[in-house]
Amino acid sequence: MRVMDLAIKDVLQLVRDWKAALFLLVMPIVFTLLFGLAFGGAGGAEDSRLPVGLVDREQSRLGASLLQLLETSAAIRPEVLTGRDAEPKRLEKRLQDGELAGVVIVPEGYEQRLLAGETAPLTLLADESQGAGTTARGEVQAAALRLAGSVEAARLGAEAFAERATLTDDEARAEFTWATIDRAVAAWQSPPVTVSAAQSGALAAEAEAQTMAQSGYSHTSPAMMVQFAIAGLIGAAEVLVLERRSRALRRLLTTAISRVEIVLGHYLAMFAMIAAQLIILIAFGQLLLGVGYMRAPLATGLLVLATALWTASLGLLIGVLAKTEDQVIIYSLVPMFILSGMGGAWMPLEFTGKTFQSIGHLLPTAWAMDGFKNVIVRGLGLESVLLPVGIMLAYGVVLFALAVWRFRFE
Amino acid sequence: MKTLDLAYKDLLRALRGVSFWAFGLAVPLLVSTIFYFAFGGLAGGDGGLDVAATRVQLVNLDRPAEQAGGFHLGAGQMLADFVKSDELESLLDVTEAADAAAARAAVDRQEAGVAVIIPDGFSAAVTIPGRQAAVEVYQDPTLTLGPAIVRGVVSQFVDALAGSKIAAEQAAGELSERGVAVDPALAQTLAVAYGHWAETLGEEQGAALLQVRTPGSAAEAPDAVGSVISMIMSGMMVFYVFFTGAAMAQTILQEEEAGTLPRLFTTPTPQSAILGGKLLSTLVILVVQVVVLLVVSALVFGVDWGRPEGAALAALALVVLAGSFGLFITSLLKNTRQSGIVYGGVLTMMGMIGMIGIFTAQVPGAGGASFSTVALLTPQGWAVRAWQLLLDGGTLADVLGTLAVMLVLATAFFGLGLLRFRRRYA
Repeated sequence: MRVMDLAIKDVLQLVRDWKAALFLLVMPIVFTLLFGLAFGGAGGAEDSRLPVGLVDREQSRLGASLLQLLETSAAIRPEVLTGRDAEPKRLEKRLQDGELAGVVIVPEGYEQRLLAGETAPLTLLADESQGAGTTARGEVQAAALRLAGSVEAARLGAEAFAERATLTDDEARAEFTWATIDRAVAAWQSPPVTVSAAQSGALAAEAEAQTMAQSGYSHTSPAMMVQFAIAGLIGAAEVLVLERRSRALRRLLTTAISRVEIVLGHYLAMFAMIAAQLIILIAFGQLLLGVGYMRAPLATGLLVLATALWTASLGLLIGVLAKTEDQVIIYSLVPMFILSGMGGAWMPLEFTGKTFQSIGHLLPTAWAMDGFKNVIVRGLGLESVLLPVGIMLAYGVVLFALAVWRFRFE
Repeated sequence: MKTLDLAYKDLLRALRGVSFWAFGLAVPLLVSTIFYFAFGGLAGGDGGLDVAATRVQLVNLDRPAEQAGGFHLGAGQMLADFVKSDELESLLDVTEAADAAAARAAVDRQEAGVAVIIPDGFSAAVTIPGRQAAVEVYQDPTLTLGPAIVRGVVSQFVDALAGSKIAAEQAAGELSERGVAVDPALAQTLAVAYGHWAETLGEEQGAALLQVRTPGSAAEAPDAVGSVISMIMSGMMVFYVFFTGAAMAQTILQEEEAGTLPRLFTTPTPQSAILGGKLLSTLVILVVQVVVLLVVSALVFGVDWGRPEGAALAALALVVLAGSFGLFITSLLKNTRQSGIVYGGVLTMMGMIGMIGIFTAQVPGAGGASFSTVALLTPQGWAVRAWQLLLDGGTLADVLGTLAVMLVLATAFFGLGLLRFRRRYA
């Protein structure tokens, strides 16, 4: 009971400070929305393809064919730019502002050279150091190859036509060439061999669920939840520091409460605060953002429990090690940055190198992310979260043991 | 002189404290180092991003179609050999599965990121008119980059095969419509000629089709790792300079609570000298921080901060803006107890909003113009924008507008902060 009394005291102390709500709820919600939208939003948007500008300097028939081929892309959406919109400075600005993933420029003389069987490269303005630029390059290159292939097919056919029909009329040859090009470009709307994509996991059969799984929120919701669970420790750890500095902790020792009960009371308060935070944020994610936490409620519950337990252990350790409020902030925010950055909360670990991924998976944040994604993206159940939960509990035990070992009552 | 004395006192105290060294220098360099290794860093000697090879399960169910004259075209085997080839070794870690079910199961168990399933009838679709087939790429839904790479590689090969058939069919079709008899030999000749053309194109590795230029700079391809680290370092510098600015301004509250500030006010030293001394020490410490971060990042990570005059002005604007913003934020607080949540919460939030473009830069389809605008709702966003313009090779003229906005904001924050403090201590 004394443990409960102390825990309730700590929790009341925290919730009376409205600024705690800022850290615990407002900031994770704001960041989930902001970064979720930035990473692609709710999914299922009318056209979520990357916009790529198309500037045809010679307004040619091949330029129109190129547009036709670009429009079949599943990854990019061509946007024809003319007049002032096609001026170099304006193009560069739109690229730098991120309005366009790239700009394809059909140079003057492109059509003539291609029809003559010469090399005629398109120009693509894009920053290949960014993901959007790399995607734009791949898609534009594919379309350029299809167009050049169509022209080559027409050229070979025209040669065969000329040989067999003793064709000498340039106009007839040109007519044949364009007709073949148009046929070939149209044939690319339904090519003989294609690549089809399918997803693994229990969500595979649910088209709408797949879209949700690919939404930006499926990453940012669990990521911000885990990150701000750590950030929220500032308030909880400060309670411990203030108690020690004000000598209230020493006075507590003169009462009937034991040292073990004091440690457990503070730990329970931190656990309760973080668990409540996670539950509220999960409800927000499930009800308002459509993130599928409740597909496997028991699995999600275990993940909440494990995340709250290891985070509370970290909070206890911070409260134990910090001597001043400033140190609480440093000892809370620095681990938050490192655990979030290296654990895949800021950016999925798949975008990093192999070594970094291995190191990242030494951290509990990476396992928390894996566990939540198994439920909300892969649509898996209880079995899939057992390993992440086990590892997080192990971290909880180690951090708690460290905190108890370092706990000083004076 | 009193202003200088007070500034010197505060400067010494800041340099003796852990906060400046930890938050001001160590953490931004540490976070940048983390990302440096995250994206390859030393390992990626060619400047390319060091992305882990995608684990692929490969199944070839294709039974080659028999062509005229008993010729078998093993298009499926050609695709399988291409996926397993040495040139893709750094991108794909390929294992051959027994069948499609086993391949999919491996992805379901997260033993692989992608399964490539070449269907039965693939060769027939490449050679026999009217036939179609699709290579299935079955992926782990939590992955984006790896499946995109696999789809890109497979699509490139499949497109080449499709192009050959389309070329032969459509040319033959047009010839037929114009009364030219098309026998299998002619169709094969067209396909072979097309194949030679495609092969020649392949040897040029796409340069004959497309030339890529990075906007705002010369034609050379960017150093991907360097570009990412430069962006992150600029964001981290801005983020933590604002923290230091606020931490320095917090000393006003600390001295108020300790009683030393009220005692100072009882001396002949004017209030303006006291507050001026605090602001001066803040600016000096911020200059030290910015210079150290710029120099260390240039030497260790090879960050090219752009033209010196632009970098100097951007650094000055950042220092003035961060210092005045810290003063303004602190003027809103009643005591140091409030500062923890405000500095940790408000500054973290604003800093992350200001850096949103940096976080989303590597994810295709992420970010966009609207988020660049959202970032500009914060002073940190303007500072990040100034550095991004310089890192992109911008000239002084390109960045002057942004610097002007930063200075206007700094003036506004300074004015408001000073007004509030004067009222407080009137």
